[in-house]
Amino acid sequence: MKTYLLAGLALLLTCCYVSGTFAADSDAGEVEMLVFPDSYTAGSVSGGGTISGIVTFEGSAPEMKKLEITKDQAICDATEKYDESLVVGEGNALKNTIVYLIDVSKGKDFDKATKLEIDQKGCKFTPHVQIVPVGARLTMLNTDKVNHNVHIFSSINKPVNKQQTKNRRKMPLAGVKKAEGPVAVKCDIHGWMSAWMAYVPHPYFAVTNENGEFTLEDVPAGTYKLGYWHEACGSNSGAPASVTVEAGGTATQNFTLKLK
Amino acid sequence: MRTRNVTLLMLVLGLLYTVMLAHAQNAPEASEKGKEVYEQSCAHCHGTEGRGDGSAAENLLPKPRDFTRGLYKIRSTESGQLPMDQDLFDIITIGMPGSSMPGWETSLSTDDRWEVVAYIKTFYDGFKESETPPRQINLEGKISYSEQSVETGKGLYVELGCVECHGNVGRGDGTSAPTLTDEWGFQTWPANLTQSWTFRGGGDTEAIFKRFIGGIAGSPMPAFEGDSFLHFGLTVAESKRLSELENKDEMTEAEEAESEKFYEKMDAAVDLALNRVEGIELTATEQQTYDDAMKVVYEKSWHLANYVKSLAPEKRPESAIGNNVLRSQYLQGGLPSMDDAAWETLQSKHFPLVGQIVIEPRQFNPTIDSVNVKSFYNDTEVAFLFTWDDRTHTTGDETDETTGQPLEDALAIQFPVKVPQGPTAPKPYFLWGGRLPVYLWHWKASAPEQVTEVTAKGVSNAEVQEAQGELQTQSVYTDGQYKLWVKRALKTEDKKDLQLEPGVFVPIAFSAWDGANGDVDTKRVMSSWYTFVLEPVPSSRRFVYPPLIAILSLGLLFGLRAVVQRRNA
Amino acid sequence: MKRLSLFTICLIILIGSWAVLRFAVGGIVSVPIPGSVIAMYMGLIIIAILVHISVEDSLFREFLRPIHETLTDNNRRVRRRVVAVLIPLFLLGYTYSIIAQRANPPGSPRDAHPSPPLELTYKDEVIGTMQDVVNPFRHYEKDDPDAFKAHVENGRRVYYNNCFYCHGDHLDGQGHFASHLQPLPANFQDPGIIPNFQEGFFFWRIAKGGPGLPAAGTPWDSAMPIWENHLTEDEIWDVILFLSDYTGYQFRTFGEAH
Repeated sequence: MKTYLLAGLALLLTCCYVSGTFAADSDAGEVEMLVFPDSYTAGSVSGGGTISGIVTFEGSAPEMKKLEITKDQAICDATEKYDESLVVGEGNALKNTIVYLIDVSKGKDFDKATKLEIDQKGCKFTPHVQIVPVGARLTMLNTDKVNHNVHIFSSINKPVNKQQTKNRRKMPLAGVKKAEGPVAVKCDIHGWMSAWMAYVPHPYFAVTNENGEFTLEDVPAGTYKLGYWHEACGSNSGAPASVTVEAGGTATQNFTLKLK
Repeated sequence: MRTRNVTLLMLVLGLLYTVMLAHAQNAPEASEKGKEVYEQSCAHCHGTEGRGDGSAAENLLPKPRDFTRGLYKIRSTESGQLPMDQDLFDIITIGMPGSSMPGWETSLSTDDRWEVVAYIKTFYDGFKESETPPRQINLEGKISYSEQSVETGKGLYVELGCVECHGNVGRGDGTSAPTLTDEWGFQTWPANLTQSWTFRGGGDTEAIFKRFIGGIAGSPMPAFEGDSFLHFGLTVAESKRLSELENKDEMTEAEEAESEKFYEKMDAAVDLALNRVEGIELTATEQQTYDDAMKVVYEKSWHLANYVKSLAPEKRPESAIGNNVLRSQYLQGGLPSMDDAAWETLQSKHFPLVGQIVIEPRQFNPTIDSVNVKSFYNDTEVAFLFTWDDRTHTTGDETDETTGQPLEDALAIQFPVKVPQGPTAPKPYFLWGGRLPVYLWHWKASAPEQVTEVTAKGVSNAEVQEAQGELQTQSVYTDGQYKLWVKRALKTEDKKDLQLEPGVFVPIAFSAWDGANGDVDTKRVMSSWYTFVLEPVPSSRRFVYPPLIAILSLGLLFGLRAVVQRRNA
Repeated sequence: MKRLSLFTICLIILIGSWAVLRFAVGGIVSVPIPGSVIAMYMGLIIIAILVHISVEDSLFREFLRPIHETLTDNNRRVRRRVVAVLIPLFLLGYTYSIIAQRANPPGSPRDAHPSPPLELTYKDEVIGTMQDVVNPFRHYEKDDPDAFKAHVENGRRVYYNNCFYCHGDHLDGQGHFASHLQPLPANFQDPGIIPNFQEGFFFWRIAKGGPGLPAAGTPWDSAMPIWENHLTEDEIWDVILFLSDYTGYQFRTFGEAH
């Protein structure tokens, strides 16, 4: 409880700091942060409802930029790679948007069966956005015969910077203590590799799929602030949507985002 | 009675103070004094609020440290740990070679430096919050330097992927080098491991070991602690066996099972390492397993540190100032070509280069450290061999936005057109001449087999000479190093050329460009005037006159004796 | 104890004074005395000795006696042979070392102060005569301490954005670009620098840099940039305020003796 309070405070401070830093600061520094509840109690949820919806992109999406593969071409350039900061599918469906409950304080526990992995196959992080529970271990996969270097640019938790040599197929990373997100993930060896992750204190987080869809299940009945974050389109943490979900019911909330 | 109390109090306080000093974390409480010293001496780079954004920060790379994140590059502590107070104190005292951070040993008192340590810590709350002292890197099992150890380390250098950034022989020219950024998004270059004098935390083996185990926080340099190593948890023999298995195209069922056992052992060890990081206490047996695994890691790390140590000379070579000038050696017959082994017999002269900050555009953050030169001459010609480290091979494919000129690597060697006569005669302006002209050999990476002769009376008043082709050129770029060979006749027909004569001291200066660092035009690294001479062949008179004089003096002695004897008689 | 002969005393004086000049004095003033100066002193000492022994005939004979003995006395045969070997050997070695000595380059530029022009200019604009010019913001030190502080702070900014690369964080001439420059950048912490110059002199050196140095007294070889190309007139005056404020040294003002 105290941890989350601190985390919230730290977040607030970080936000102030980020907005105050000079322009030459990194692009990672200008990310709007996710908002986490002060505390969260996990338990069993009976008769919870579902919040679902579709996130779409407003206007015509710019063409995805092809990435320039500057090294290890035999493995990394085997398939064409694109800048995944804005992936817009059919019907302007916006992939890789985090949709989450801002003010939930009680609800279900994390699904322990969920695999917490980021694969680096072909010198590309898959998935592009990964949600990791606070304290849980994320495993980095490397089935390529190349060296990777996992660099997680945390600022609240300690940053991670670990070499994953070409013969190391799985590299689990230590769980972190504080909620934080979004956090950039990079590979210093392959400068084009980029992903995002969030260390979260509760399970009501979803990442939209290629159809722009998200679903939050087993939500205790009530009214919630529903937040979103997207790498290129920003977040609504300043003015989140309000959603009411009834026991056993399904609430729908769609979002239309444009470039920030 | 009262006096005694005061004395007692003072004694106790004194004792306490001594204990505090002896304790590892020994910075005093943050005080006004620390703030005052910080604001007078540190704030212009590190910012009044410690964010590394002082007014001077703009033109500095590496950037001044942002103290608000608690990320410190040079630590004696493990990865993810805060530095010891002593680490901070040492950096303030010694400075960071290769960066703009000076040592403050002579300009701030010991007390003031400790006050600054205490004040700097107030910028990051983590120092206050952490309940346990930082875990220090254990230096006990040091493996001393040996060729065997260096050889083992060399293997690890490749296996661990150091080459990706630091390059094949450590010149910081790895294929990932040009794309690196630090935690704040600023460009950063991997260390050139052959130039130990630029290592921020010092070039001794212990320092290298600490950087390697603890990582360089905030930079792309990862910490090679624990499970980053291949086959963490296995003994050296087990690891060797597993590598054998892994390199097989197909494993038998028995081999499958054998390798599976190894994997289980490794997973268990990694699990313990993560538990430790997460703060889960290990049982005694677990601790033992972990310690055993770490012993292997530390051993390997010492080998690697020894290898890195072997790449660089202990100290920066003495620069070619004073009597340590560039002396071209006389050779009878033909001069050696670029790859001739004859060059190995000469010791190169070291010419340090600095950023050009006299004329716009300026280079505040140079990437080329120095140029090393050797030279031979014979009765008609002189040959030079220039070598300099450049992490990237840039041949002008991209152009500079403001000047429109191609960004490419280059080197210019500068002489006066006329050698100044006498010690008080003025030399041309050191930066491409002025009132007095300079004679330049300008080599560019886009035309590697050609050196252009230029006459200049200032940077904006340079002319390519009409008569070219007097210079023979060869060059090559390998593993982060350029080698340029130039040969010219001692005397030429061209009046705009410098004419060379043995025994005459000729001013020489250099400019170098690293295209990948945005060097173009006057944005470059350069040197002021140094001296070069065709070392005269020692005169054969040295075998004639001395014996002559010796015999003469003996004769004189006998003569004198005869005269005295005659007079006595 | 046998009294030393006059010849031996003279020899001891000669060798002793040479050793003192060559080794001891250099150690005290921390710069070795140039060979030519030593030669001059030694010449003087030899003349003094010659004058002394030639004052009286008896003294002169006393002086020559050991030489006579060595040359002719049959009891001195061993000494004679030693001398006959040592002197030619010494001369052999000495001449060889002179002939085989490799030449060294001319010394580095002198550490003398250039003489400034009569008129102080910024770009091409005349500010005043070198003697009369004063720092226009200096009077704030007494009149308006807040304004003065603002100017010093601006000077600090100018210094750390432009000068500290060579002149150092601590103004001691040991910036991170400094060690490879010849001559070395000025050390403002040296008590012989700021107190010896007027602010106008500093303005001139900053504004015109190395290329602005006079034709006399060369070679200067200074790498100092022409700062009037980068800084405003006010910025130069501000940085001069900062130099004295940081070091605590006062610039010489007009009317003070040299």
